[in-house]
Amino acid sequence: MRDIWLIAKREYLEQIRGKAFKVTTILIPVVFVSIFSISFFASKNSGSGKHITIAANDPALAARVRDQLLTDKDARMIVDVIAPAADSVRQQLLTEVDEKQLDGFLWLTTESDGSKASATYAAHASGDFATTARLSDAVDHAVVQQRLTAHGIAASDVEALTSDVKIHTEQVKNGKEVSSSAFGTFWAAYIMAFLLSFTVVMYGMNVGRSVIQEKTSRIFEVMLATVKPGDMLAGKLIGIGAVGLSQLAIWAIAAAIFSGSALAASLMSGGLKIQVSGVEIALFAIYFLLGYALYSALFAGLAATCDTEQELQQYAPLAAVPIWLSFGMITFIVSNPNSALSVAISMFPPCAPITMFLRIASQFPPLWQIALSLAIMAVSVYIVVWLSSRIYRVGILMYGKRATIPEMLRWLRYS
Amino acid sequence: MPAVVELDRISKSYEKKVAVRELSLRIEAGTMFGLLGPNGSGKTSSIRMMVGITMPDSGSVSLLGKPFARETLKQVGYLPEERGLYKKMKVLDQLIFMGELRGLDKGTAGRRAHNWCERLQILEAVDKKTEELSKGMQQKIQFISTLMHDPELIIMDEPFSGLDPVNAVLLQDTLIDLKNAGKAILFSTHRMDQVEKLCDAICLINAGQAVLSGGMREVKSRYERDRVVLQFEGDNSFLQHPAIAEYKDYSGHVEIKLHPHADAQSLLREAVEKAKIYKFELVEPSLEEIFIQTVGEKVDA
Repeated sequence: MRDIWLIAKREYLEQIRGKAFKVTTILIPVVFVSIFSISFFASKNSGSGKHITIAANDPALAARVRDQLLTDKDARMIVDVIAPAADSVRQQLLTEVDEKQLDGFLWLTTESDGSKASATYAAHASGDFATTARLSDAVDHAVVQQRLTAHGIAASDVEALTSDVKIHTEQVKNGKEVSSSAFGTFWAAYIMAFLLSFTVVMYGMNVGRSVIQEKTSRIFEVMLATVKPGDMLAGKLIGIGAVGLSQLAIWAIAAAIFSGSALAASLMSGGLKIQVSGVEIALFAIYFLLGYALYSALFAGLAATCDTEQELQQYAPLAAVPIWLSFGMITFIVSNPNSALSVAISMFPPCAPITMFLRIASQFPPLWQIALSLAIMAVSVYIVVWLSSRIYRVGILMYGKRATIPEMLRWLRYS
Repeated sequence: MPAVVELDRISKSYEKKVAVRELSLRIEAGTMFGLLGPNGSGKTSSIRMMVGITMPDSGSVSLLGKPFARETLKQVGYLPEERGLYKKMKVLDQLIFMGELRGLDKGTAGRRAHNWCERLQILEAVDKKTEELSKGMQQKIQFISTLMHDPELIIMDEPFSGLDPVNAVLLQDTLIDLKNAGKAILFSTHRMDQVEKLCDAICLINAGQAVLSGGMREVKSRYERDRVVLQFEGDNSFLQHPAIAEYKDYSGHVEIKLHPHADAQSLLREAVEKAKIYKFELVEPSLEEIFIQTVGEKVDA
């Protein structure tokens, strides 16, 4: 026990004092916040500041569409109206779009009795979903208003009848409604899952690299003359795991201080509320530790069979594939947290830390499912540690070419 | 008094290759023991079994009079052939860490590290990181880390390689002091002159087997003194003496090989009669010659 403690302490102090730790502690949150702010504000502001022209044979409808478009403050659109528009105008508008004086134009035609309307949006950029959605919304609204007015309903009533209803989301917890922002929950889940996958793999690879360095510097030969290989591996896993937890703790504290500050309050007023509960933080730590133990033990074993970091890189897909798989399913899991597939993938150990966390954040799964997933992970950690320590013990004394799978299997039988 | 190391017919094979075959040896306290052999002869494999890095397939290892147990390793100091230190660690921290792993408390480890650094004249390096030091200095630090816990058995694989003559002598003297203090020292090397000078007993292994072992004097006495080095002036007709098998005359400096069991003394008498002798030395075979002769014979066989 004393040996494990000494080795863990050494590993911890060396990494905490190292330059890499300081750089990643600062750089990773900066990169994270940048990526998320950019994608958040980009999604909010997409399709804004467009200059379009509405060409219609019905001036009243065109004016209504324009009014609708201008009520959306986020869009900051510039809207010109040409009505009534002759067919010759179309050619002129096409030229303007072509010369980029306009982003696009909306061609609106209605039957004289107002029964049928058709709209075409022609723009330079295709696939501008945000603008298309805004236009479709505005045209729908305007047509309904137009028809209501045509049926002799007063203008003030028309406004009231067609006013939007904002959906207020609430989460049901323990049979009570808790007001929540669905958006905030999603982002919280997304950020935590991202952070989890990132740190688990980063620290798993870190253990692998550290094993290779000890192998190349031949330090283990001195160490093995006093310390058991199992103790050496255990000390390393504990030491580097503690470094990971320290880094997460630093980030959590920094985030807590930041969210209490005035700057955060002004930033978050834009509707992005990120809610994280204490239970989630505890589970985050547990899933980090188990996920880390799984990946780091795997990479420690593999690293012992390699001579250089380049050789170890060839095993990187073993970590990357489960993470791609988990992230590929992110929207499915967040919208169907209790489907059989979501439950199954949150039990599969390499994916469990990320996928279970997405489920936890979106809808708290039954406790037995969390317990089962943790139990399956713990068992697989035990198995991987057992296999890896045997491979480690033999591999670390072997030099030369990278060991093949049959060789590793033979090593498992060595006592 | 029981031997510090006793190997009893140990064998070890890797995959298809036999690394060590039925090797037995004893190392007594207060002796310097040389483990010799060509590259790949099984020296490092044998040492690894002594320090528990690997286990013998058959045979037994006893340390300090007891069957091998990991606990005993706290009284063994091992300097591997491939040097290894934590590059990013400061020298003093590194030495304390190694000392603590061998069971010292932090205070004692720090004090001993300081004393050793003073003794080996590297006190100015204690606050530096290992990677900032020269090869020779790193080697001295590794040397110290091997001795920090005052081990009864010291095992050194090529301890002097890469050192300048001044530092090599410093470490040699240190080892001799330790030997005189009753420690058992095993070292392996290719440098026969060092073994010849330092070791009390040797074991020569080739292809995993001991081909020659015993006390240095006893081993040498098995080989006849059949070479003469001679310096003279004057008549060289004594070189026709019947005891001489062959000779090379470098104008006054002659190297002679005698016939087996020839009488060197009668050669000396004849030489004195005929010429002026400055030097007449009946040379015992060097360890290197014995080494080449023994290993060569086995290779030929």
